[in-house]
Amino acid sequence: MEKGSKEKLKIGIYELTGCAGDALLILDCEKELIDMFKAADIQSFLMAKSDNIDGELDVALVEGSVSTEREKEELLDIRKRAKTVVAIGICACFGGIQAAFLDKKDWEKNFKKVYGDKKMTHTKPLQSKPIDAYIKVDYYLPGCPIGKEQFLSTFNRILRGHPPELYRFSVCVECKWNENDCLLNKGIPCLGPITRAGCGSICINHNLPCVGCWGPVEEANLTSEFHLLREKGFDYDFIKKKMANFSGTGMADFLGELKGEKK
Amino acid sequence: MRIIKLKKDNLFPFLEVISEEADLWAPVKKGDKHVFKVVDDFSQIEMNSTRTILPPRKIFLPPTFDMFSVSEEGYKEDFSHITKKILFGIHPCDIHGLLILDNFYKQAYLDPYYLEARKNTLILGLSCWPDEYCFAKSTNTHIIEEGFDLFFTYLKDFFLVWIGSSQGDDLVRLKPELFDEKLTDKDIQTYLNWQAERDKAYKWDLNFTAMPDLMELKYGDPLWEKLGDTCLACGSCTNVCPTCGCYNIMDKQFLGGKDGKIMRHWDACTLEEYSEVAGGENFRKKRSDRLKLWYTHKLQAFISKYGKPSCVGCGRCIVACPVDINVRTVGKALLGEEEDAFWIRLNKEVTK
Repeated sequence: MEKGSKEKLKIGIYELTGCAGDALLILDCEKELIDMFKAADIQSFLMAKSDNIDGELDVALVEGSVSTEREKEELLDIRKRAKTVVAIGICACFGGIQAAFLDKKDWEKNFKKVYGDKKMTHTKPLQSKPIDAYIKVDYYLPGCPIGKEQFLSTFNRILRGHPPELYRFSVCVECKWNENDCLLNKGIPCLGPITRAGCGSICINHNLPCVGCWGPVEEANLTSEFHLLREKGFDYDFIKKKMANFSGTGMADFLGELKGEKK
Repeated sequence: MRIIKLKKDNLFPFLEVISEEADLWAPVKKGDKHVFKVVDDFSQIEMNSTRTILPPRKIFLPPTFDMFSVSEEGYKEDFSHITKKILFGIHPCDIHGLLILDNFYKQAYLDPYYLEARKNTLILGLSCWPDEYCFAKSTNTHIIEEGFDLFFTYLKDFFLVWIGSSQGDDLVRLKPELFDEKLTDKDIQTYLNWQAERDKAYKWDLNFTAMPDLMELKYGDPLWEKLGDTCLACGSCTNVCPTCGCYNIMDKQFLGGKDGKIMRHWDACTLEEYSEVAGGENFRKKRSDRLKLWYTHKLQAFISKYGKPSCVGCGRCIVACPVDINVRTVGKALLGEEEDAFWIRLNKEVTK
């Protein structure tokens, strides 16, 4: 171990169910990677190294949602070992695409459709959920994947003992900064107003509507967005599906309420 | 103020000459809207543009920029984004917007970034024609008497050019042979006719005289709760407003070393975080309270301090807001006139 590393914060980077895009993004910070390993004592990072140690941690960064019993146990163990847990990426923060089925019955139906009656021997499958369904999460760093700049700034602030400083407004703000013409006003179903900023409104910059992959912004006005899309001519199922696609669990209450509403 | 004449065909040769002095910014097309951009090819300039998506304040204070670099030696101001610019094609209402921002940034604390950028930018105004959203006549910002170096009124075959400053005069002197010093009676009549027609072309107006009192009288009106229920808190009205100037500051420290940057970005009082203080207390947690703040500033508070509204009638909020919360619908609602707007319809449709 490098000299003086005792004072460095012990960090672990973990991946649960997801595409590993967030871990990959961290690895893709090529310019900063050496500084990162110099500034912190990275104890565990499966994608980057093989000599991983599962000991006490100052900070655990967790990517992915929980979708098996084994992952749940692993997560509980991480929480026990880490002083601070940061959920990184949409799957850890809001469940991601694999958590689009909010209703347990819907999930069971779909599970059966995919796997049939096959018996699972490796581990017990669970309905996919964000990590805060099982443990206390200290900080959330959303994204699909997380943004390089926000990750580096968050990593750096955590090393210095500061909480992350993220944009807390919707994609619309960055979209305006990029001087895009509003897609909603052209009748295109864009989730910008209810989605957290940080991506730099990358889709709308390319004339594609926001799909909500960074999860709902703190103050998302789902009712107004829903009715606005209804008025623009989109049907109930389409809007519900679109909203639930990436971060259904972040909107579970609202989507649950909609269930009872007339189509 | 001296007024001279420029033949239409002489405009590009003039721009050619002056663009050697500084970057030339002008309105160009983006989709079916317009934006200010640096132009090399003058044929891209939209001579009949309507409002740009973002107001010209983006040229003085970009949405995000670095204010300071930080190292072990201390802070160093970063003015690197400020370069010499010529802004051509800015409409009267937007020049008024800059004059309002001048009030804002020259108050108790001078804003060095804004003032330095202002000093380095020449304002070459251009006349315009109202569309269905413009209401600059209601705010009396459809005409401009100060705040420009040159102002071009576009009269089909020629421009009348007002020389508003010695720097504007210097530009003309770079190629004086392009201009005619003498105007004919016919030229003057053409201008007067144009002005009369233009004034008639405004399609709607708003009684701003009534607004300060109405803001006071209707401060507790249920109207605000309706607006708050509909508002998406997307900050678009604020970001596109030519007279909004609030900002936030973020630290950007670099990994490993002790260097960093301090970044500044546009903020909006219509966003949730704006009124949050240390400890997490938020004075304007409700969207309705934030909308009240925005409209109080635009329609009441600024008037009592500076004698004019902090609204220049550009119509950007009308175009931008997806749920129709803008100076027109709110102003009309305060006056007791019901406009057709999503925020009115939403409350009728939601039964939950």
